[in-house]
Amino acid sequence: MKALGDLGIVHDTEVLIVGGGIAGLTAAIATKEKSPATQVLVVEKNFSGWAGQANKGAGVFMFLGPDDPVERFLDYHTHNIGCFLEDQELLALFAAESQATIENLDSWCHTFCRNADGSLAVDTFKPGLPWRLAAAEHDTQMKAQRYAKRLGVDFLEKTMVVDVLKEGAASGNAPPAAGTSRAAGAIGFSLLDGSCHLFRAKAVILATGGQSYRIMSMWNGARGDGIAAAYRTGAQVRNAEFGAFMQLVNKRSKEPLLGAEDALYNAKGECLSSWRREFEPDVDSMAGAVWYREMLAGNGPIVTHNDENWLLQHTTKRTEKGGHGDDTPELWNRPKAEAFWERLLSKTAAADGRGPVSEVFPGFLGEFSPVRVDHQMATTVAGLYAIGNTATSGCAMAGAVPASPGRIRGKALTSSAWMGIRAGAAVLDYVGEVPPGQPDADLAAALKKQIFAPLRRHEQSRGPGLEPIDLVRQVQAAIAPVGYSIYKKKGRMEEALGLVLEAQGRIPELSADDPHHLAAANEARAMILCAEMFYRASLAREESRGWHLREDFPERNDAMWLKWILLQDQDGEMHVSTEEVPVHHYPFQP
Amino acid sequence: MNMIDIDLEACDGCKICYKACFVDVFRWDEAAKRPQVAYPEDCVQCNLCELNCPTGAINVIVDWNKPFPSVLEHGPRYPE
Repeated sequence: MKALGDLGIVHDTEVLIVGGGIAGLTAAIATKEKSPATQVLVVEKNFSGWAGQANKGAGVFMFLGPDDPVERFLDYHTHNIGCFLEDQELLALFAAESQATIENLDSWCHTFCRNADGSLAVDTFKPGLPWRLAAAEHDTQMKAQRYAKRLGVDFLEKTMVVDVLKEGAASGNAPPAAGTSRAAGAIGFSLLDGSCHLFRAKAVILATGGQSYRIMSMWNGARGDGIAAAYRTGAQVRNAEFGAFMQLVNKRSKEPLLGAEDALYNAKGECLSSWRREFEPDVDSMAGAVWYREMLAGNGPIVTHNDENWLLQHTTKRTEKGGHGDDTPELWNRPKAEAFWERLLSKTAAADGRGPVSEVFPGFLGEFSPVRVDHQMATTVAGLYAIGNTATSGCAMAGAVPASPGRIRGKALTSSAWMGIRAGAAVLDYVGEVPPGQPDADLAAALKKQIFAPLRRHEQSRGPGLEPIDLVRQVQAAIAPVGYSIYKKKGRMEEALGLVLEAQGRIPELSADDPHHLAAANEARAMILCAEMFYRASLAREESRGWHLREDFPERNDAMWLKWILLQDQDGEMHVSTEEVPVHHYPFQP
Repeated sequence: MNMIDIDLEACDGCKICYKACFVDVFRWDEAAKRPQVAYPEDCVQCNLCELNCPTGAINVIVDWNKPFPSVLEHGPRYPE
């Protein structure tokens, strides 16, 4: 029997938070504000405050104000977004607490745009939608990180956590039944010197973001580390078939062109946007399907007419000086956010040009976030929690859409912060009741061997071996094509799954010459696992619902498929099962 | 790949570029107190290093022809 200390540097804490983005930071702050004596450690692969996605997007937060009825929001959501796969109780809770979440976050960071009277400066994404948008300056995460530090949260940077550690028979108690032991820590390594780091904790919160397969620029950091770690430790995942977000992007820069789906044309000049109703909540997978069918029919290239793109016009106006009319002040005064967008847009304009017509294609974002959590953000493994885009689909509040944002711009930030705050409260109750974690050292040794295998392979072989990026590209080729992941069909998905399993078969060849590439190798393993989950769940759902579009099952089937698809590891096999959505206990039914 | 052009004379050694990168492109040379562009092939032009450099010493020159997976082509049975 090995001791944990023989394997690397051991860190002790009570609450271990993996990932220092907006979700991890809010969880850390919520925990520490309520219980200053509780030890909280945030481990981040890069630098907390900078890392994550919150500072790479619009910086808008959706919420329901006091005059926005939760019932109306639920009614709209179930009919137009989640298609009755929502956990309506959780969604109602989120909606009711959304403004308080923003006020909470602003009390820590003071970055939200406000009117002269102190109220939140509020806009709508599109008229008539039953929610509102507030906006925060681009350094919200940075300020949250500083506040967390002041509260006494500990940070360990440039460290990648790969796997969760569980207690074993050695914990002193009776040996737990298989799959039932509690999470008691984690294992990973330093990106700087490759040293092995082990964490002993009472509870672990996974907040590493979703899985976006390293394809799109601003989503590039979401590499599924936490999702893979949760699955490998026995946690259940849910709604994996919805993890294929896409947006129409400019052909050359590959940057999203918001609203392009409302003004699509083929090379014959035919309008392709007839399925779009006035004021759809946001993009949907049909935009990808339309693009795909037209391209296969030889009607490409597909373009969008920017002067018919209401959203583009509105968004541009919103950020321009005096945007809401010449004599009104700017709605959202955010110099840092504006500088970020101006820099990006000036560079992409050099690539794409700024003409009235833009050629577009569906850029694959993924936003895969399927770790199943309950209303306390607890996974199915005791002591293991998941928040933010690690678990947004998995918590089921969004239903049949990739999450977040699903089809609600600004939902990712509000829901990540809300999940973080909720997990912070829940984890305090849990750590108050359990003794310190005692991770199974034999399990840790076996995981260490697996994590470091690509480095060893490089040292032992003379050739270059399989570079992680080559395996990443193989997974990308199996997930990015529209005909595989957006407009689905049995034969095509089986082909894609075949490619994923082929990539899986090459994992033993992975070779890494330094810790940076060791991280890439472990991320490639996570990508393969996530892609497998996505296709196994997508093949199981034999209907079309929300973002899940099947060419071979084009209709929604409420009689058969008001069910969640669940995946779980069973002795190395990905086991697929279903669970009825308790829709008859909810306020809204189909 | 992108090119990250750093004026090491203008650089004041504040480490912000190293911290701002969310995909581990930079490493920090403690002896020289200057950044090293260790993995430029992973840069995805978020531009946060460039934007937040207090002395304006960084320029991210974007290669728009970086490898990108095809979204139409897949499998041998489907037309390209």
